[in-house]
Amino acid sequence: MILKFFASVRKEAILMLRDKAGLAILFVMPMALILIMTLLQDNTFKALEENKIEILLVNKDSGTLGKAIHKGLTEADFFQITDKLEDDTLTEKSAYKKVASGAYQMAIVIPEGATDYIQQVVTHKINTQLPGLQEPVEEDTKIDLTKGVNVKIFFDPVTKNSFKQSVHSALKEFTSKIEAEMAFNIYGKLFKDMFEIEVQQPESFSSIITFTEEYATNLNSKIIPNSVQHNVPAWTLFAMFFIVIPLAGNIIKERESGNVLRLKTMPGSYTAVLLGKLSIYLIICIIQAALMIAIGVYILPLFGLPSLMLGTNLFALFIIVLAAALAATGFGVAIGSIATSHDQASIFGAVSTVILAALGGIWVPVFIMPEVMQQISILSPLNWALNGFYDIFLRDSGTLDIMPYVIKLMIFCIVSIGVSYFYNKFNRSIS
Amino acid sequence: MSNRSYIEVENISKIYPGADIFAVKDLSLSIDKGEIYGLLGPNGAGKTTTISILCSLLAQTTGNVYIDSTDLYANVNKIRKIIGVVPQDIALYPKLTAKENLMFFGNMYGIKGSLLKNKIHYYLEYFGLINKINKRIDTFSGGMKRRVNLIASILHKPEILFLDEPTVGIDVQSRNVIIEFLHELNKKGTTIVYTSHHMEEAQNLCSKIGIIDKGDIIAEGSPDQLLKKNCNCKNLEDVFLHLTGRQLRD
Ligand SMILES: Nc1ncnc2c1ncn2[C@@H]1O[C@H](COP(=O)(O)OP(=O)(O)OP(=O)(O)O)[C@@H](O)[C@H]1O
Ligand SMILES: [Mg+2]
Repeated sequence: MILKFFASVRKEAILMLRDKAGLAILFVMPMALILIMTLLQDNTFKALEENKIEILLVNKDSGTLGKAIHKGLTEADFFQITDKLEDDTLTEKSAYKKVASGAYQMAIVIPEGATDYIQQVVTHKINTQLPGLQEPVEEDTKIDLTKGVNVKIFFDPVTKNSFKQSVHSALKEFTSKIEAEMAFNIYGKLFKDMFEIEVQQPESFSSIITFTEEYATNLNSKIIPNSVQHNVPAWTLFAMFFIVIPLAGNIIKERESGNVLRLKTMPGSYTAVLLGKLSIYLIICIIQAALMIAIGVYILPLFGLPSLMLGTNLFALFIIVLAAALAATGFGVAIGSIATSHDQASIFGAVSTVILAALGGIWVPVFIMPEVMQQISILSPLNWALNGFYDIFLRDSGTLDIMPYVIKLMIFCIVSIGVSYFYNKFNRSIS
Repeated sequence: MSNRSYIEVENISKIYPGADIFAVKDLSLSIDKGEIYGLLGPNGAGKTTTISILCSLLAQTTGNVYIDSTDLYANVNKIRKIIGVVPQDIALYPKLTAKENLMFFGNMYGIKGSLLKNKIHYYLEYFGLINKINKRIDTFSGGMKRRVNLIASILHKPEILFLDEPTVGIDVQSRNVIIEFLHELNKKGTTIVYTSHHMEEAQNLCSKIGIIDKGDIIAEGSPDQLLKKNCNCKNLEDVFLHLTGRQLRD
């Protein structure tokens, strides 16, 4: 049994090493895919990750309004504020040009003396509310109440309405805050003058009603992977499942050549031979995974991409790789047993791998799929394995956390091998 | 029990799944120890099917096979140790060398180490292939492949050797060395069961011949007996045509 097993391992290893084209497909193809797809999708993922609107801010106001808008926009998560250009020439005109040329999505111009103006208007309003309390305002300093403060916003014409809306509402929020703050200050001064009461300034004028937003997804995840964190495990899995093609081909070739017949006339069971074969393909899968992950860690940074962070649970990583490898080889055995010809196995193997990959979120990540597809994706073993990788890379999950995925992959492997066992037993006349 | 021959086949029938006719129908034959038994018949007569059942590759639909007085299917593993099978199609890995193939199949029979290496060298030498020991099978000619195909089945010194058309499609030289080898093997005590389309070869080699047609044995006996029974015939080919007719087969 042991001798048979090792003889089989040896034989498969030699066959594998002689099949240069097969090796190239198994190793070079996924390496190229990882590199190309990661680079291609880098910007898409960045957009998903940050989703920030780039805004030019021309602040001509030296008072609190300008400062508050600047602070508010900076603190809001979805804006990227620029208030200085490299050549230090940020004016209303240059800002307009920048937006017109598409370099920025919008520009906000806060006019000179805006704070002073608001201060005056608020004071005036309070004075008319409580006549006689303040010294009358002299004629020449009288303000034009109809003028208002005109904050200008330039939009890139392609800017979406929803973006405009969010800028508008953000600005409205800041300005009304400022107005309230000023009114409060004036009333405070008034109280002090009239009743000698020191009014305590509230520390901030943050809103009483707040809103929190969250993406509701089935992944119970707010963490979205970056391009590297998605593409490296995704294409690694794709490559690992691609092994069904050479593996199924190998099984069929052996069967067609009559070698299986010869092997079956020999004492002892054929299982040892099959196990030897599977071990080699399993090892290939693990080498593939190691190589792809190494590319994520060491090669992708050379192309200006972020390096792949492996998390701290390397053992968990090994377990998910092993489980995925077992699922892939099991699937290969099933296809090799059921397909009747080499061509059929290649076509069916390739098509089913691509479909399972697409469903599993290899091409298009699950979290940006439509709801229905997200539900369907749960059926793909590549999805289970990919979620295992996400958990390890993004949440630093341990071996226990990924067990649900590991168990599903193991069941898939066992079912595949069971199917091929029974198929062989009942559909082929070989005892 | 004791009146059974070394290989005793009792009324076996075989229908392949999905097929509508019997590939082998109610076939019986007996082979003594030390015999060279030739199974001759036209294409599709059921030779491969019969030999596959005898070497435990295929389960018969009905009937019994006894080898050395034990039921084949009750003792498959025991019997598999003492038989060797040379398949009709070349059953070797084309991408492996002659040596790698033979090492693999030797290991499969539980032979290893220098014993196996010596055997491989001995047989490759015998069959004139020693200078090709490290060449891949896919670079071999048909005759060379046939010879390696035979060696792969005898490394474990089987007591019974089954050969399905071992000399098909090869030149006279290859054929002669194979026939010569089978003679020698038989002299050392190996029982041989073989199929062929080559009448002259069978007439010279076999101690007993069964002529099979449409899944059943239609005549059986030593070459001389067969010639005597069909007294107008000069050679086995005439007997064969006399018995099986001139009609073409599928
Ligand atoms: N796997 C199979 N499935 C269905 N029918 C089969 C199968 N193998 C053989 N047969 C049929 O069984 C019959 C006997 O075939 P078999 O291969 O035993 O003949 P044979 O005497 O070896 O022929 P040949 O001289 O061409 O090798 C034929 O009619 C054949 O078509
Ligand atoms: Mg045949």
